[in-house]
Amino acid sequence: MRNVWTIIKKEFSRFFKDKRMVFTVILPGLMIFLVYSLMGTVMENVGKTDEDYKFTAYVTEMPENLAAAFGNGFELKEYSDAEAAKADVEAGNLDLAIFFPENFGQTLSGDVKIFYNSSKDNSNNGFITVSGLLNSLINPPFTINAADGVKFDLAGEKEWTGKMLATFMPMLMFALLASGCVAVAPEAIAGEKERGTMATMLITPIKRWQLALGKILSLACFALLSGLSSFIGVILSLPKLMGGAIDGEVATFYSAGDYFMVLGLIISVVLVIISAFSIMSTFAKSVKEAGTLISPIMIIVILLGVFAMFGSSTSTWLYVIPLMGSGLAMSAIMTFTITPLAFVLAIASNFVLAALLITAISFMFKSEKIMFNR
Amino acid sequence: MEEILKLENLRKTFKISRKQQRINRTSDTVKVAVDNLSFTAYRGEIFGLLGPNGAGKTTTLRMLATLIKPDGGNAYISGHSIISEEAEVRKNIGFLTSELKLEDFFTPNYLFDFFSELYDMEKSVRDARKRELFTKFGIDRFAEVKLANLSTGMKQKVSLVISIVHDPEFIIFDEPTNGLDVLTAKVVTDFLEELKAQGKTIILSTHIFSLVEKLCDRVGIIVDGRLIALDTLENITKENSLENTFFDLYDKTCGEKL
Repeated sequence: MRNVWTIIKKEFSRFFKDKRMVFTVILPGLMIFLVYSLMGTVMENVGKTDEDYKFTAYVTEMPENLAAAFGNGFELKEYSDAEAAKADVEAGNLDLAIFFPENFGQTLSGDVKIFYNSSKDNSNNGFITVSGLLNSLINPPFTINAADGVKFDLAGEKEWTGKMLATFMPMLMFALLASGCVAVAPEAIAGEKERGTMATMLITPIKRWQLALGKILSLACFALLSGLSSFIGVILSLPKLMGGAIDGEVATFYSAGDYFMVLGLIISVVLVIISAFSIMSTFAKSVKEAGTLISPIMIIVILLGVFAMFGSSTSTWLYVIPLMGSGLAMSAIMTFTITPLAFVLAIASNFVLAALLITAISFMFKSEKIMFNR
Repeated sequence: MEEILKLENLRKTFKISRKQQRINRTSDTVKVAVDNLSFTAYRGEIFGLLGPNGAGKTTTLRMLATLIKPDGGNAYISGHSIISEEAEVRKNIGFLTSELKLEDFFTPNYLFDFFSELYDMEKSVRDARKRELFTKFGIDRFAEVKLANLSTGMKQKVSLVISIVHDPEFIIFDEPTNGLDVLTAKVVTDFLEELKAQGKTIILSTHIFSLVEKLCDRVGIIVDGRLIALDTLENITKENSLENTFFDLYDKTCGEKL
């Protein structure tokens, strides 16, 4: 095991002493945070009107009992005739042109004509406001859920949040970990082959499996760090992105055991992904080729995450399928429905596959065709 | 004399692509790079492997260093087969060739420590050896400079030192003075003589005649993957200079007048 440790130490000094390499870990998280926060802020403000904004309106036959309601949020404009007002609405200079039928205040009947311009946010929102205002004038002879202090939506916040997390956590896990792996795998093996530094290690007495294991373990750490950085970026930007639907309280829904299971899943998943990518990186003749060979596997990995988004599996045996089982297990942890057997199967299948892949890489290191053919 | 290296009908072929077959106007699907090569090197000698480019020198050395496997025959280094006892062979040899590169992100000091760990050396032995070799080659002043920032000559010296980190008994040098200025080349050749004096066995592959005349005890001349002459330097240069002997032999073998 000493040689494995030697390789790990070397990979770590290569990674952490190189400012650019470290940057590849921090940058994704930072970018995700900035982009998602920006998206959240933009989405929140799109189609909204400032709270103290006064809608501009031209109103004919304003019922007296409504005048007060219109007084606050509306600024009434005078026009010489109806057509001029409508033309201004069309041009976007006026929000609304409202024509009440005669004696509307008393009869509450007839057709109210509200001209608006749906391409303008303020005009559109003004239309919605006035429609709501008018509808509220009619009091139906019954009420719905009028009692104060009664919780009518019986879905627990915990279950609801869990269900929501279950839909995107597997996908998020696969996407972030895969992007972390793709940042480090091509350079670490194909790069060393290309530069001729791999052969220098291959003539030393180090066993091929030790070299493979040392590489994979250190790469898995870098990919985890990169994934973690992205994850923190997502978590920090989540309140903004979801408009406050998810907040810090979510963290308390899950027990320490849940967190350990998530951690175990992530570690086992990253080992499988980095091993699969490393096979491609070993096979490739150059860093560039490694990138090309890795892309299809990356797509498969992310698709597995998407599958777990929709599939809530009833069969425990589906958890035996590496990666996919982990996606399902992640969903199940989020919805508090994971069983110990399912968790063990999901995690064990990943470790078995990773071990097989690392063995395959060791064999590839022995093949002169793969290691030395240009 | 103790046999350190023994090649027995060592053979290596490479596949030829269809396109290359057309260029060569041949229907042979393989090219024989090394053709039943047999020779022996003894303890404490410098054995020169002389031949033109493409003669199969580097392929032979790569097989001896266990980087690639022969298609036929075998070779033994200190009694260990390069086919079935790769691990033992790797422990016992040092290999310097331009093909094996060092990560230029690291410093000589780091690389020395890293490779000595792979050779499982004791820390005290390693430090003493590092001091000695770094001082001898003037690397001590650059011990903490990244390889990328060193001169070509200094990089070659670092490669040389790293290749013998573990004080191997048998050392393969493939064109060790290529691309070096006369001063650095002299440091390297002086060191080869020093290694010989220590009783190390060295295989020196080169196409520089003067280097062979200066250093080697015995010479093998290799053309087209075959050994066409094998004798002591003294015998080979008895009647003619090494250069002329080589050209005569080449004419005879290839049937072309140079």
